[in-house]
Amino acid sequence: MRVNPTRLMTWPEGRSRQSVVLISSAIVALIGLRDYLLSWQISLSVIYVYPIAIAAWYIGPRFAYLLSISSVVLFTAGDLASDIPYSSWLIAVWNGVVRLVFYAVLIHMLDYIRSLTLGLEARVLERTSDLRKEIVERERLERELLEVGGRERRRLGYDLHDGLGQHLTGTALAVQVLSQKLARRGAPEAAEAAKAVDLIEDGIALSRKLAKGLQPVEMHAGGLMQALQEFAAATTDLFKVACRFECEAPILFADASTADHLYHIAREATGNAIKHGRARNVTISLDARDEGSLLTVRDDGIGIPVSVPKNGGMGLTIMAQRAKLIGASFDIRAAEAGTLVSCCLPQPSPGVESGYAARKQDPHYA
Amino acid sequence: MPDGKFKILLVDDHPLVREWLASLINQQPDLVVCGEADSAPEALGYLNSQATDLAIIDLSLKESSGLELIKTIRSTHPAVAVIVLSMHDEKHYAERAIRAGARGYVMKRETTKKIIAAIQQVRSGKLGVSDEVAALFAERFVDNRRRSGTPVEELSDRELEVFRLLGQGLDTRSVANCLHISIKTVQAYCARIKDKLNLANATELLREAIRWSESGAF
Repeated sequence: MRVNPTRLMTWPEGRSRQSVVLISSAIVALIGLRDYLLSWQISLSVIYVYPIAIAAWYIGPRFAYLLSISSVVLFTAGDLASDIPYSSWLIAVWNGVVRLVFYAVLIHMLDYIRSLTLGLEARVLERTSDLRKEIVERERLERELLEVGGRERRRLGYDLHDGLGQHLTGTALAVQVLSQKLARRGAPEAAEAAKAVDLIEDGIALSRKLAKGLQPVEMHAGGLMQALQEFAAATTDLFKVACRFECEAPILFADASTADHLYHIAREATGNAIKHGRARNVTISLDARDEGSLLTVRDDGIGIPVSVPKNGGMGLTIMAQRAKLIGASFDIRAAEAGTLVSCCLPQPSPGVESGYAARKQDPHYA
Repeated sequence: MPDGKFKILLVDDHPLVREWLASLINQQPDLVVCGEADSAPEALGYLNSQATDLAIIDLSLKESSGLELIKTIRSTHPAVAVIVLSMHDEKHYAERAIRAGARGYVMKRETTKKIIAAIQQVRSGKLGVSDEVAALFAERFVDNRRRSGTPVEELSDRELEVFRLLGQGLDTRSVANCLHISIKTVQAYCARIKDKLNLANATELLREAIRWSESGAF
């Protein structure tokens, strides 16, 4: 719960300050008038406490002292003016001084409490804003981490595929040339050199496989559909579950990073369905809706526990984090049978042209 | 430049590949690498000044697309045959390269075994592709024949319109916006197109639509 202390605690400014001054002075004057008119036997000195307290709390101790002095003067003047049978006028003055001391103690205590409360509030505010800054910073870091991770993976994939792959191709060619030269000379080592060519070519195949693992979504607008299709087929083969990919009509993603995050959300959700949900059937679907592109992963497993621990399962946090990163909503819930994970990416505003532009820029499209 | 030899230009942005591919080719008595280039402009500059029989081109070149280069060569130097040498899988890219005007497609991981054979095949006027790709083409051809001429003709006007827009690279939402119909309706059209053209999924639908759109059939 958040209280706004500024409303309650700070000195009022301008008009409201003036009105507090006026009101408290008016109350003092009124009570004074009453004191003056009323019998001395009923002391109203306690009632002065109210305007003085208001003045001390909202305007400041100085004005409160002023007010208390004037109330004491009023009170004493009233006493003296009426026919009180004091033995000496000094007693009336003494009574006034006692009241003044009482008010002074009150004002001092109020001022002290007030400054304590204000200090506390200020500290709480400071801490809260520090904490909020920290939360923002942490979220930024988490996002950065995901982004950097994705970027690094894509870069590594590219380096493996295009850098190492090309280098190995050159190497294989070099050894092939050597092998042919040896063969022409009739050297028996020609066969061994040919074997080396095969080994290098196995290496190329291996680097391709690694690159595919690092960069599953190919960098063209239809890449996500293709990657999810392949992932569903591979999952069916690997885990003995029926994993299907459904997509009625082409949904394109111009941004490689968006496609990559959606792919990983689908992959994580499918993994959870198989590992924790013990699902037999998993359906990944990509669907265009009026509100945006919708990715869902449905399974027929045992479902998620009723209360998912708040920080439980890194997988859930990361899926949600990925969704947040690309500006999509993320939801995981128990379905009639099993679990339904959905992630909806609102449609981008320039929509109409993006798919076309993406294809034009990409020579390897389709 | 010795006469009678088949003159080859290598276009690849990886020097190691160029160097050893040239060595391998030059070992053949009737082939010679007459030039090397690492970008599309350099390749075109070379072709403009030197007589060349064949260009071997990598699909991913620095700052330019190999496919575009193939199309340009086809229109400006129709006598120069082209073989694509690429890191990319032939299953996905061979057909596209051939459509762009290449006469052959060799994956880099099979260069040592296949490149010379592909060159010789192209030299004798055949397609220089692997048996798998040749089988794939044949299958497609037969498939297309079986589907009573061009199956695209079976599409209704509205379906054809959706198909055409998909082929231009628009996705479901953009098609819906373009035709002022709902996304659900577009999806229904897509499902019917898939049925009529016997396509397994949205990826295939997209590929088919782009292929059809690029063949300029409309």
